[in-house]
Amino acid sequence: MKRVGKRKAAKTAKRAAALKHDAIDDLVAAGAQALGLTLDPAWHAAVKFNLRLILSHAARLDEFPLPDAIEPGPIFHA
Amino acid sequence: MLDTTAADFESLTAAGIAAAVASGRVRASRVVEATLARIRERDPLLNSFTAVTEQRASARAQAIDQARTDGRPLGPLAGVPFAVKNLFDVAGLATRAGAKINRDDPPATRDAALIERLEAAGAILVGALNMGEYAYDFTGENVHDGASHNPHDIERMTGGSSGGCGAAVGGGLVPLALGSDTNGSIRVPSSLCGVFGLKPTYGRLSRARSFPFVASLDHLGPFALTVGDLALAYDAMQGFDAEDPACADRPAEPVVPVLERGIDDLRVAVAGGYFKCNSAEACCAVDRVAAALGANRDIEIPQAERARSAAFIITAAEAASLHLDRLRRRAPDFDPAVRDRLLAGAMVPASVVIKAQKFRRWYRQEVVKLFDEVDAIVAPATPCTAPRLGQTTFMFGGVELPVRANLGLYTQPISFIGLPVVAVPVPLTPLPIGVQIIAAPWREDLVLRIARALEASGIAGPMPRRRD
Repeated sequence: MKRVGKRKAAKTAKRAAALKHDAIDDLVAAGAQALGLTLDPAWHAAVKFNLRLILSHAARLDEFPLPDAIEPGPIFHA
Repeated sequence: MLDTTAADFESLTAAGIAAAVASGRVRASRVVEATLARIRERDPLLNSFTAVTEQRASARAQAIDQARTDGRPLGPLAGVPFAVKNLFDVAGLATRAGAKINRDDPPATRDAALIERLEAAGAILVGALNMGEYAYDFTGENVHDGASHNPHDIERMTGGSSGGCGAAVGGGLVPLALGSDTNGSIRVPSSLCGVFGLKPTYGRLSRARSFPFVASLDHLGPFALTVGDLALAYDAMQGFDAEDPACADRPAEPVVPVLERGIDDLRVAVAGGYFKCNSAEACCAVDRVAAALGANRDIEIPQAERARSAAFIITAAEAASLHLDRLRRRAPDFDPAVRDRLLAGAMVPASVVIKAQKFRRWYRQEVVKLFDEVDAIVAPATPCTAPRLGQTTFMFGGVELPVRANLGLYTQPISFIGLPVVAVPVPLTPLPIGVQIIAAPWREDLVLRIARALEASGIAGPMPRRRD
């Protein structure tokens, strides 16, 4: 029961964080404008959630030091 | 003489059908008639087909029967019905790729390369299969075409995005199907529907004339009820194709001749760390497979969680780039769950994506080193058995996770660097679950040999289909 309670609290906190206006909101709005994308206001929260998720994956990668000389993965044959 | 009732054909494998057609015990036309009857009878429950190419299949079957009558040679898949995920071009059909938007595209003028190769071997295309929109999916649900249904419990998911492939093969409609796998879309439905699935090495099979998702991660491959059928189809499809820029210029390396070679000489380990199972079903399946293979050591795949993160980023950004114009013109026509992720992907800074691709290089170098110590690695294919249709979350190690994004959490770090994998089905009760057999690049022979040994031992194989 305690665990379920904690999960609910975490979910509520997550939702509250998602609703709070922050830099991701600005990035979504500016990105949509710059790329010529029309964003229905009803979609904004879901786009913001997904962008935040992608950037959290990016933060995990950022913590990992890569050698400067490493090449990107895809192989291009001239 | 074979009894040619529809019920009898379903017990036949692709190899069995081809042998029966080649020997004249059954006509290809009769096989196709029975297959089409089965689709008409059962697909209303499974919802696996989005198009049935009835006339084309009948004409093709007659041509094969005529070839036999004339004494011309028949291919190794003569008379074998197969179907393809609807992102493969089929001449005369719009390439739907699971999307409402693509239905407005003009019909394809030529078949996908792999359809041409299977038909050159005598196989017969009978239709196109349901899938998650634009392949950005692990569930098999589709808001436009409806969900494909799990053949072992129609209230449950097939997994995706090649959900129709899992349902059609697992449900006994066709012995063979072709799907695509970018992050797990062959292996996830194989696992949840209890069938064998092969995701070959990146660059092994031509993707020409298939609708892309993430070019740097996209693979195509077969689903089947037996390892022998996977190998037959795979051998028929191998070979360089200049029309797919990622297709490797390597000679075909047939696996059928080596399939029964056994595994006594192979070193197999179980993936530890990130891949440690968190559900009783996944643990049970991996333990059974490991015991059968004598895999008594664990091996750590380094930075697998970061690999998944990098795959996640590349997927979002590349897919968004692919669909940017459609997002501008027709955003309301997308599945909302796909559209919102694509819109987010469009806004990811390039620096993040390039770092993910650089990480990919590093990760590949490190993982390939593991294959100096072992020949193959065993890992779970999915974290759980098939969730219920409409279910949005599942419990994983005490944490509630979204289903759609996380059914592929064990498959993503593997396809990220293009390693060959066979998903082998372990027939647990009440639902099957798959295990990944993973090898070094270009060693499809090893994963198929191991899968065959597991099949022969009875550890892996399709479970009997429920008749409800």
